[in-house]
Amino acid sequence: MLTSSKEIDLRYPGLPGLLLIALLAGLGLSCSEPPQQQHKTQFMALGTLVTVSLWGVDDDDAAEAVMAVEDELNRVQKTWHAWQPGTLTEINAALAAGETIDADPATLALLDKARDLAHRSGQLFDPAIGKLIALWGFQSDDRPDAPPPAKADIERLLANLPDMNDLVITGQTLSSTNRDLQLDLGGFAKGFAVDQAIERLRDLDIDNAIVNAGGDLRAIGAHGGRPWRIGIRDPQSSGVIATVDTKGDESVFTSGNYERFFTWDGVRYHHIIDPRTGYPATGTVSATVIHRDASTADAAATALLIAGKDKWRRVARKMGVKQVMLIDSDMHVYMTPEMEKRVYFRTGTPPRVTVSEL
Amino acid sequence: MTRADLVVIGFTLALLPFLYGTFWNRQGPADAALIIDESGREFSIPLDTDQQLHIDGPRGVSILEVRDGQIRFLDSPCRGKQCIHAGWLKESGEFAACLPNRVSIAVNGSEPLYDSINF
Repeated sequence: MLTSSKEIDLRYPGLPGLLLIALLAGLGLSCSEPPQQQHKTQFMALGTLVTVSLWGVDDDDAAEAVMAVEDELNRVQKTWHAWQPGTLTEINAALAAGETIDADPATLALLDKARDLAHRSGQLFDPAIGKLIALWGFQSDDRPDAPPPAKADIERLLANLPDMNDLVITGQTLSSTNRDLQLDLGGFAKGFAVDQAIERLRDLDIDNAIVNAGGDLRAIGAHGGRPWRIGIRDPQSSGVIATVDTKGDESVFTSGNYERFFTWDGVRYHHIIDPRTGYPATGTVSATVIHRDASTADAAATALLIAGKDKWRRVARKMGVKQVMLIDSDMHVYMTPEMEKRVYFRTGTPPRVTVSEL
Repeated sequence: MTRADLVVIGFTLALLPFLYGTFWNRQGPADAALIIDESGREFSIPLDTDQQLHIDGPRGVSILEVRDGQIRFLDSPCRGKQCIHAGWLKESGEFAACLPNRVSIAVNGSEPLYDSINF
């Protein structure tokens, strides 16, 4: 009981009262936050693990959005898979037979974009070399335990190696001037699929999301009051080498020689084949690109890994990408000033970095 | 300082453990791994108990090992063994997958360092 002669003055609560009010106010603020602002869902699609992160949508809308993304990715995979029967394998069969075939406008638009990116990359991103990729055994979910292809077989393909300029698009038809031309949109299809998925999210009025397909992603909006934070994996360990906070609408794509590979007689062979040599690209371990659309970022990361430290600036300039980071086999980092402003290294000792303008 | 002040201070101090428990403990160290199997079934396992898990997939059994707050693929019936090369996962947001056997692991902390991982 309060028997003190001095009553608590409610108008001037004093220090203890203020403390209590502050605590209760804090309690009220915490309780007023809607539950579960973030949704993170993972599933298998495009032959890899896909993670969809959403911020600020309710459970029902999140479920609908994830379903829309999954449907879209499965549709793209069915159409553009390099070896499972679909639109692309039908086109490849026709091109190999020397036929001219009709294609729908969406297909032609996609191939036109791939052709343009290939041209600007100086054909280092070359989606026309499906035969070479197949020869290496990389057109398989789990490559059989087999040696690398014979040198003579690689040289035979190199002697008449197709590029996207051999693909003829006339009106609504497709044909090829090189019977060896076989399309393999690895290094582009994933980016295209991610772009399509983001479009579907926008159709559903979702403004804050990340679609991450096997490590490559496009992020829109933000995570509430802070930006989405992306960790870039260290190419030599399972940890993170650097972080990037995305702004507005950006894709972050990395091509790495550690993603798919096999070892034969103690030699490691990775899946990014240099169309100039017919062998896996050497010298560069990973190439990371930040760019608005995912399909350009995807093709550019592939081309820049092949270009290596001597030619990457020229290729980046021609492909219109400005935020680029390359890591070579000595863990030396090469990047543009635009990229340097974005990345924060998280390693104990910062790596050796060379920054150069494009 | 009056007795009323003491009552208010006492009440405030008594409230603190409750508030702490309610609003701080959520960010405790109870890290977990989310595992997805071939049927899309998801299950979360804590990383504070060392154990081995056997997950069935289309190719056979993938063996996962949990030790010292980390998790890894110990064995998997694929040819490339890239899931095993991924090594230990410990930082929130890291993941590894055996695509041929359709088993994936993602490490989740209560306070993730990253929203998404690029590689």
